[in-house]
Amino acid sequence: MKPKKLLVIVPLLLAFSMVYGQDSTQTETNMKLLSGVPGNTKLLLTGVAWFGFQAILNDKVKTDVTMNFNSYGFSPMFLWKLSDKLFFESEIEINNGAIELEFAKLSCVLNRYMTIGAGRMLTPFGAYGERWEPVHIERFPNAHLRPDDNLLPDDTHLYWGAIMGVDIRGCLPLGSSKLNYALYVSNGPLLSKDENGHPTGVIQYENLLDENNNNKEVGGRIGLLPFSNSSLEIGFSAKHGIAGDRGDSVYGKIGATAYAVDLSYVKSIDAIKSTINFRGQFNTVMVDKANYYLTDSTTYTFDNNMQNYFVQFSIRPSMVRSKFLKKTELLFRYNSLTSPKDALWGAKDKNGKGGTITRMDLGLCYWLSWKTGLRLAYETTAMPDGTHKNEFLASLVYGF
Amino acid sequence: MKKLTLLSIALVAGIGAAILIIGCVTSKTVTAKSGMQLWGENCIRCHNAPSSGDYSNAQWETIGMHMKLRANLTDVETNKIVEFLKSSN
Repeated sequence: MKPKKLLVIVPLLLAFSMVYGQDSTQTETNMKLLSGVPGNTKLLLTGVAWFGFQAILNDKVKTDVTMNFNSYGFSPMFLWKLSDKLFFESEIEINNGAIELEFAKLSCVLNRYMTIGAGRMLTPFGAYGERWEPVHIERFPNAHLRPDDNLLPDDTHLYWGAIMGVDIRGCLPLGSSKLNYALYVSNGPLLSKDENGHPTGVIQYENLLDENNNNKEVGGRIGLLPFSNSSLEIGFSAKHGIAGDRGDSVYGKIGATAYAVDLSYVKSIDAIKSTINFRGQFNTVMVDKANYYLTDSTTYTFDNNMQNYFVQFSIRPSMVRSKFLKKTELLFRYNSLTSPKDALWGAKDKNGKGGTITRMDLGLCYWLSWKTGLRLAYETTAMPDGTHKNEFLASLVYGF
Repeated sequence: MKKLTLLSIALVAGIGAAILIIGCVTSKTVTAKSGMQLWGENCIRCHNAPSSGDYSNAQWETIGMHMKLRANLTDVETNKIVEFLKSSN
């Protein structure tokens, strides 16, 4: 190579190297700076908002139609991937003006089959509470018939609320099948009391700070997906905790045990150009027998067992050509709730005994996006005393 | 309590036996599945399947970890689904 060419090439290479070096240094600096800028971190704010309408067509008291806009809410969820092993998730729910922290949980991946989590979390009991309850997932304008405060005393035996504790969870591949698990230890439930301080037999599960005793609740769910396409999942759940107060010689050892079986089957079927979705859950809560006080200070006892289940079927013609039809989902749900027969609380039949409430729901959901939709439902509730309540519900749910 | 103890022992024994017998092995049918297939099969188990354009690539990584924990997806499923959604963006 001629010296003249070298005189040109070498300076050019040097200049290029210097510029490249500066650029690389600058790029690294920029990357470091950018990593601290919101939007470049792995924090995601997502959530859902809703607005509801209710028309009660008849019930025990009102024979006229009553109509009102009955619910509104906003529920932002914060998801933060701190690293490949650490994850934080939290949700705040503002429902009809009441603000509540739904969950705030930090999880750490221990290995490919196990993650440990701690904090305030949704109870891994049944599939409904953790997976199907979020407003954008629930296809109906309301939840299934459940032991809430419209039917039983406040939070009676409500088995899926939040807990404070630690859980381990994961999924194990078993050939073409899968088995998932979530096991937890949390602060235990509370045996609630009447205005005189006497226990009533009602179990309150959302006893987050558990100041009444040192006993912890243990429980969990095992889910089996037998088919390789994950279309079917069957879950078995159990939990047990002591609900009585510490040092209470009469009620201190009263425990509450609950079991649940859940099932879901979801499949897109070409022959009918539709996606079918079947899901259901059966729950039973059993509280140890004890003597409870009547208002005249005499005592009585009862079998403190409650059963509750729902089955739901929906069909969505997701593979047809019509844009309207493919966004439409038809829904059917049957619900049942049986309260303890001889308890002072709960729905009663004409003889004053506890009975079964049933509800039949027909609905329609029109999807505007994957998590935004209009839900309509007509529901008929049959009370144990023979009365009926018919209502029309509508809600607009918008996810972001 | 005895019932719960027995049930717990039975479940743990069942899981242990299943792991020992099959050894956490994934079948060829499952291994061969693409991210798109897994996205179509797993998301609709609870909710409608979102499209890739609903979130950015960084957001999909966060959502992937959230769903791995909430829906108990396997590592492989989660990674394949997230890669599929990112590659479609």
